[in-house]
Parts: sequence; C-alpha cells; structure tokens
Amino acid sequence: MVAEKETLSLNKCPAKLPTRTKLLAQQPLPVHQPHSLVSEGFTVKAMMKNSVVRGPPSAGAFKERPTKPTAFRKFYERGDFPIALEHDSKGNKIAWKVEIEKLDYHHYLPLFFDGLCEMTFPYEFFARQGIHDMLEHGGNKILPVIPQLIIPIKNALNLRNRQVICVTLKVLQHLVVSAEMVGEALVPYYRQLLPILNIFKNKNVNSGDGIDYSQQKRENIGDLIQETLEAFERYGGEDAFINIKRRIASLSSSERKQESELNLRLYGQ
Amino acid sequence: MAGSDVKPKSISRAKKWSEEIENLYRFQQAGYRDEIEYKQVKQVSMVDRWPETGYVKKLQRRDNTFYYYNKQRECDDKEVHNVKIYAY
Repeated sequence: MVAEKETLSLNKCPAKLPTRTKLLAQQPLPVHQPHSLVSEGFTVKAMMKNSVVRGPPSAGAFKERPTKPTAFRKFYERGDFPIALEHDSKGNKIAWKVEIEKLDYHHYLPLFFDGLCEMTFPYEFFARQGIHDMLEHGGNKILPVIPQLIIPIKNALNLRNRQVICVTLKVLQHLVVSAEMVGEALVPYYRQLLPILNIFKNKNVNSGDGIDYSQQKRENIGDLIQETLEAFERYGGEDAFINIKRRIASLSSSERKQESELNLRLYGQ
Repeated sequence: MAGSDVKPKSISRAKKWSEEIENLYRFQQAGYRDEIEYKQVKQVSMVDRWPETGYVKKLQRRDNTFYYYNKQRECDDKEVHNVKIYAY
C-alpha cells in the first residue's frame, strides 16, 4: 500500500482540482533529491557519488545456441544411410537394409552421433534409434570408434537445448554399458564433456510437494546428469571418480556412499 | 526348396504375456505368423536370439530389410491381445 499525502481539498470536493497541497505539521519538508545517474561499471562515471552502477549483462550460460546443418542430415537426404522408417503399433520403428554387424562403424557411428544435434522429425528419431541399434549390436566394434564420437557429443551438449541434452545423456549412459572398456576409454575425454554438465547439474525444479512429471519421464536434466555421472563412475574404472571430481566439484561418490552406508549398517561405525 | 508349406489349423489370441508370446509378437511385427513360417520363407534353420534372454534378436523381413529387437521385453501388456497364436 502506498502512503499518500493528505490533501484536504481533494477529499471534500473531488470534482475540483487541488491548486495547492496543504502539509500537516509533523510532515518533513521535501528534500531535493539529486537525480541518480545510471552508468556502466568500471568507468570514471561510476565513481561519482550519485551514480548507480548498472549490473553486468547476462552471460548467457543457459541460452540456446542455434543449430548448424549437420552431416547427418546431408547424408540422410542423399540416401546414404541403410535405414528405412516403418510404422508399427507402438509408433515408429527403424528397419535396416543391411545387417548392422556388417556396417562399417568407423564411418556410420560418428555420423549417427552427429545427428544428435537434430531436433526435428525424422532426423532426431533416426539418429536416436540408429545409435541405439548400433550400440546394442556393436560389440567390440564400438571401442575403436570412441575418439571419433567425442566431438559430435560435445557439439550436441553445447547447444544447451533441453531436449538434445536429455537424449545425449541417455545415449552416454547406453554407451558406457554397450561394450567392455568403453567406460574406461571415455575417461581421458571427461575434460571435454563434463564442463557443460556442470552448468546444468543444479537445474532441478523446486516444486515443493508437487509432482514432477519430468522425473517420471526421465526428462529432468539434474537427475539425468546425476545418473550419467554415476554410470561413468561405475564403468569408468579406478580413475573415473577423481577425474569426474576435478570437473564437477560438488559431486560425491555414489560408490563410496554406498560402501560407507553398508559399513555403518554392519559395524555401526 | 523345402517340402509343402504347413498351414495352421486354428488361430487364437493371446491373453497373458509369456516368453513364447514375446517371441510371437516379434515374428508378427516382422510380418510372419510365427517361427515355422519364418523358417519356411527364409529357408534358415536357426533364428538369431539373444543369449541372455532367449528372445528373438534379428529377423529379415520379406522385403529383405532387417528388424532388430531389444534384449528386454518389447511386447507391452496392452499389445498382448493383438498377438495371434496359431495351432497346427
């Protein structure tokens, strides 16, 4: 509520415009306030007494970057991929024209990972489903291709698009379990992949006691990042935790937590 | 070419999910009645299966494209009644 000055004439005759306001005895005299100057920081003007420094502009950490046309889209439109779209009762399915086991993973897998940047149908569906199928059936063909996958994954995460990040994190979780030694092979590349996760790690919605449906649908970024980092730690070998901790300082080890909880239960220590 | 194709005598719908129903679902997704028809059409003796679960892993469709299936269950409970069981 705004406190207003009493004006006798206004209350008694509302139709009449007040010519002069009458001040009551206890009210202080209006002091002339100098106009405040708005100025940028770190300037000489900012050092003046009556200047108000404007805050820094937003850095844009969460701002989405625009997508560039990807090699995946180019190859798909040229018909270079041995895939076809099929509709079934559950939605869509991908049919392969060539057996996956016979595919050259060095050529195709990085291309499919490049398609993670896509956000429109059918590109994002083909990329996601194609990666899933290739990782399921790749076996030992996946490990030699890991270095070529890092740049596409980094590009996808750098878009800062919520949907793309969710899909990429699920792909990363699948990648570390897809074959032996893949988790350990990723450890040297943590310094390229983890910084962007650090930015989004605390992006959890505080909805009080409300239901967060994005959690149920596995689309809550904060939770997905936590799951992904736990998978990295579990499958990354001995050096994984310390390397992750270097990039994401607020992380606590899930393995060590479980171990200490177990010790507490067994030995009461 | 093998001998004459064996045709089923009766058909019924599945009521409850089981591993057999899961495999039938996968064959019917690919456009076949069941494993018997697949082996007749494609002239193969063995079907690719996941070693851990025994579910069908890969099938070749009639247009020669390949369908790959997950290691885990794919047939939801609401799809079970669409699965046809053929008796010979």
